[in-house]
Amino acid sequence: MNTREDSNPGSLLSAKQLLNVYRRMRTIRHFEERLHVDFSRGDIPGFVHLYAGEEATAVGIISHLGDGDRIASTHRGHGHCIAKGVDVIAMMKEIYGKTGGACNGKGGSMHIADLSKGMMGANGILGAGAPLICGAALAAKFRGKGEIGITFAGDGAANQGTFLESLNLAAVWSLPVVFVIENNGYAEATSRSYATAVDSYVDRAAGFGLPGVTVDGTDFFAVYETAGELIRRAREGGGPSLLECKMVRFYGHFEGDAQTYRGHDELEDIRANQDCLKLFRAQVEQSGMVDSAAFDEVDREVAALIEQAVQEAKAAPEPNAADLLSDVYISY
Amino acid sequence: MREPATQPWIGIIANPVSARDIRRVVGNAGALPLAERVNLLLRLMAALAACGITEVRMMPDREGLRALLLRELSAHSGQRLPQLCWLPMAVSATVQDSFHAAQQMQEAGAAAIVVLGGDGTHRAVARHCGAVPIVGLSTGTNNAWPELREPTILGLALGLYASGKIPDEQALVWNKWLDITFTDADGVHRQDIALVDAAITDERFIGARSLWSGGALSQLFLSFAEPQAVGMSAIGGLLQPIGRREAGGLQLTFGPGGCQLQAPLAPGVIGDVAIARWQRIEHGQQHRPLLRQGVIAIDGERELTFGPQLSVTIALRERAFRSLDITACLHYAAAAQLLRHGA
Repeated sequence: MNTREDSNPGSLLSAKQLLNVYRRMRTIRHFEERLHVDFSRGDIPGFVHLYAGEEATAVGIISHLGDGDRIASTHRGHGHCIAKGVDVIAMMKEIYGKTGGACNGKGGSMHIADLSKGMMGANGILGAGAPLICGAALAAKFRGKGEIGITFAGDGAANQGTFLESLNLAAVWSLPVVFVIENNGYAEATSRSYATAVDSYVDRAAGFGLPGVTVDGTDFFAVYETAGELIRRAREGGGPSLLECKMVRFYGHFEGDAQTYRGHDELEDIRANQDCLKLFRAQVEQSGMVDSAAFDEVDREVAALIEQAVQEAKAAPEPNAADLLSDVYISY
Repeated sequence: MREPATQPWIGIIANPVSARDIRRVVGNAGALPLAERVNLLLRLMAALAACGITEVRMMPDREGLRALLLRELSAHSGQRLPQLCWLPMAVSATVQDSFHAAQQMQEAGAAAIVVLGGDGTHRAVARHCGAVPIVGLSTGTNNAWPELREPTILGLALGLYASGKIPDEQALVWNKWLDITFTDADGVHRQDIALVDAAITDERFIGARSLWSGGALSQLFLSFAEPQAVGMSAIGGLLQPIGRREAGGLQLTFGPGGCQLQAPLAPGVIGDVAIARWQRIEHGQQHRPLLRQGVIAIDGERELTFGPQLSVTIALRERAFRSLDITACLHYAAAAQLLRHGA
């Protein structure tokens, strides 16, 4: 047999590593499904935008990163946070607006950040993560430790000037950045074909001289292999690139969205045929690497963790009025 | 001379998403923007119109090609082009669309089907086009089967053929493929084909699909092996060339004990592969992979995992489907003065 190179690194993951991947994806799913229920009960203040259905993309990309690598997230940021290793209990407290939250309960769902993990923050401004990550990547380039930055944007946000300007800036400065477009087909309620002149986001990368790749964002192994090459390239000084992940979201743009723009049976179809957790589990079980009982055990562990997070969040005190003006500015 | 259909029409199946995979980053493979695909189609259609073809029927898509083409056509209203119709079919944005479109075009009597895509797209059409000839235009990455051609020239050759000015025996050539049969534990068969190559790897998961490295290769089956190709066909072609019009194919087993070969595994990727042995294969011979578990890659794309519960056989088929020989058509056009006017 020839010497194995770096191709298809997913095929080289151990059973323990595969279970860790599943645990991350399952944690995101369970976290979001619990928020869906608790938000509908009126337990949660503010808005939430759920990442359920998109887990393979966050975990497939972020599994290649360390704490020194930075990510800039979106309004739909819970999945990125969990994949980057932000504490789930602190996240839940933050979304409940309680002390002990990732931002002391003052930011809520769209502003969860943990700089110790390289998570620069979810972001309520569409397309705002791209210029932020250019700054982080410029700093990483000067530090010279091979650290990189990744920014996520939806297919709608990818039409923002900030995003396109950042592609240009990153190309000009050859920054170690991967621009990830999470293309779930809808910019809020607007379909891609209605609002985007050229449907291919890879074409835009070419316009700025960057390589661009499209991948099935519901397939962990496809994302993992592709992202691994883009990230390796960035670490080795190869400059920026763009990764378009085609994916599906299981819930509305925001919780409470009536989703009248969806096709008939669309949700049932994508849940039946494009559920990235089911696809991952089926592939791994078929390979004989991990059996069904081990996956079920992870499901139970994750369910217990999320229940604990919710109970701790509900029990935590709200911030004091005296804390209102603290943490407004922070030095890095 | 063959009588043309009363109103010959051309089918077009254009893959809107070819050339966007991982090979853009591992080997700097080229990208083909949607706008450029539209330009290719417009040049093709202009040449077809010049030969008197009045209608083309296209596979619809939802990846932006149809939308961009319609926008461009509205800006070309003064140009002489065939009428463009869209096949009445639901769009799934998967390879199933190419299957359905080829089937519909065959049943509705297309004179030929133009395919814009890579080896994979051409394979999808070849599976379902029956006796309708394929006209290949490469827009993929490492294509061994379709050629890089100027669509204007392709359109001229095709237009002359479809309008009955070039006989079948001058215009058409036969092609080979590999029949791949999967049989599960219950004895249920499933058929697939490879136009050029079927590779067996020792991977557990499919991953990013495109085969761009030789590290996991176990065996390779080739319907033809051309040294000037890029990708799997080149591995065989650099050992023992077998032409696409020549009888027979090639089977290679990777591993120690034979030779090392430096080969273009993908655009921009030159790698060493260790080859234990290789042999010619003949029409109809059944071959089984040595591995009991792995991945099968077809025409450069990792397609399917298999294990002990799934039996895989691979066999070469001669005279599997027909395609248009562009060079032969244009030589015939010159000799028969098909495009000459006046004295």
